[in-house]
Amino acid sequence: MAAPDAGDAAIAARSLRRTFKGGIEAVRDIDLTVAEGEVFGFLGPNGAGKTTTVRMLCTLLPPSAGSATVAGLDVVGDAARVRRQIGVALQEIGLDPVQTGRELLELQCGLYGITGRDARLRTQELLELVGLLEAAGRRTKTYSGGMKRRLDLASALVHAPDVLFLDEPTTGLDPASRLTIWEEVRRINAGGTSVFLTTQYLEEADQVCDRLAIIDDGRIVAEGTPEQLKAQMGHDVVSVSLDGTDVDATEAALAGLPGLERVAVEEDALALYVDDGASSVAEIVRRLDRDEIRVRAITVSRPTLDDVFLNATGRRLEGQEPSEQPAEVAR
Amino acid sequence: MTEVLLLGRRAVREVLRLPEATIPTLFIPLFFLVVNIGQVSKTFPSTTPFLKGQSYVAFQLPVSLMFAVATATSGLALVTEIDLGYFDKLLVAPIRRSSLIFGRLTADLVRGVAASSLVLLVGIALGARIQSGALGAVVIVLLSALFGVAYAGFGILVALRTRNVQATQSSFLLFFPLLFLTPNFVPFNRLSPAMETLARINPVSYVIVGLRSLVIDGWDLGRIAVCLLVIVLMGIVLTGLSLRAIAGYDR
Repeated sequence: MAAPDAGDAAIAARSLRRTFKGGIEAVRDIDLTVAEGEVFGFLGPNGAGKTTTVRMLCTLLPPSAGSATVAGLDVVGDAARVRRQIGVALQEIGLDPVQTGRELLELQCGLYGITGRDARLRTQELLELVGLLEAAGRRTKTYSGGMKRRLDLASALVHAPDVLFLDEPTTGLDPASRLTIWEEVRRINAGGTSVFLTTQYLEEADQVCDRLAIIDDGRIVAEGTPEQLKAQMGHDVVSVSLDGTDVDATEAALAGLPGLERVAVEEDALALYVDDGASSVAEIVRRLDRDEIRVRAITVSRPTLDDVFLNATGRRLEGQEPSEQPAEVAR
Repeated sequence: MTEVLLLGRRAVREVLRLPEATIPTLFIPLFFLVVNIGQVSKTFPSTTPFLKGQSYVAFQLPVSLMFAVATATSGLALVTEIDLGYFDKLLVAPIRRSSLIFGRLTADLVRGVAASSLVLLVGIALGARIQSGALGAVVIVLLSALFGVAYAGFGILVALRTRNVQATQSSFLLFFPLLFLTPNFVPFNRLSPAMETLARINPVSYVIVGLRSLVIDGWDLGRIAVCLLVIVLMGIVLTGLSLRAIAGYDR
């Protein structure tokens, strides 16, 4: 999927910047375009500027410079109209603990101008959608983390928004609850809603997102479809886990390896992006033997978004496991 | 308007469901009422000129009423909401930001009516007679509740400015000097000169004097008008500052 034109975009940001007190530049002149009906993933480490970007696009925080439109409306000049078009579930789950799930959704309906019978019907519909009918009469403080996320998601949907913002919608959830949230996101998107989401789970982003961008230190460092981004990494990744061995010496031993496209250096490992992983392994092993370099493991895999992330930011995303290892050659 | 009513209903529901937030605010005024009367009723028997034949409880009742309604409850609820992230959810809804303040103040009005009715009934049970009659009692409750609404703006302002629970909680302490630098125990003319000067420049004094006149004197329209004027001015200033704070929140 190619980057869409700004003209018919669900979200378009141009040179968007946010500087906080003390001169902290949280977001530095980013450009973004999200097409209508797209699920767009916004990835980055903690403090990279994801939440600040979401807050600017949701009209919660004015940009220091640049501009952005959501559903064709300017987030500063047309903020009130933007709010009618968007649904928002922020990283901190926005629920009132004293209200029941049903009361919270009915209030949310009311704030969007849906009242009386319509509000009750819409609430019922959403409770069913997120599987919370049974718990609807309980105060939200008694809900589990997954239930709270689902209710928060439902509350972002009362007015059937054109654009849905989800900031870390699955953080802190167990795998089963994460799966439920992603299924709901897909279903919502299938109904025509554009989705802008941030997440730390790269594998899930790979499966859910049509396109994604990686933000690091306030700047977008990679953007494209998951396939495009992975394809840019080379054909295979050979990961060499070092066993206390000097990284520079290992890198030097492997320099000029046939078919080597690029090397990403980590604290205790090297990721080699090569044409053909299987045939490279033999040469890698030979060179390491020659230089008497001991390593813990050598693995060959296809590039993942984790590799894309590592390449773009110079580090792995916190909490991510290294790539799954279909083939492993231990020494 | 609908959004104010919806948010007000939610805030009232919150008051009903969190009695632990309201009960302590009622305990203090009732405690002071009983203890103060117990301590000074012999010093100020009903023959004391400024009591006009009533027991001292009649004189103290307005002070307890004000203690009962002047709380930081709305500010605390708001700062908790900010802390939990629900406030952002409300800010991103297509409603006027001012509705979030007026919704809270609706709950303050309801809570103020309930709290001052209770304190008034306890005062009557302890021997106070309302010289202005049943209608006067209603006016006392309404003026007290309105004072609570006006005062709530202060807690809301601190909540919005500091976004800090402890700061909002301790904002209540400001009320102590405002309430005690007044003719709360004796009339103006029985205070020391320095205290009298401070009490006369403290607007809260005139709220106490107005409420007290309804209990002890009957219908003194001048004092009631000044009392109402102080409450309205206080409300305009504190609510106005809160509205400005919420309009500029993260702007």
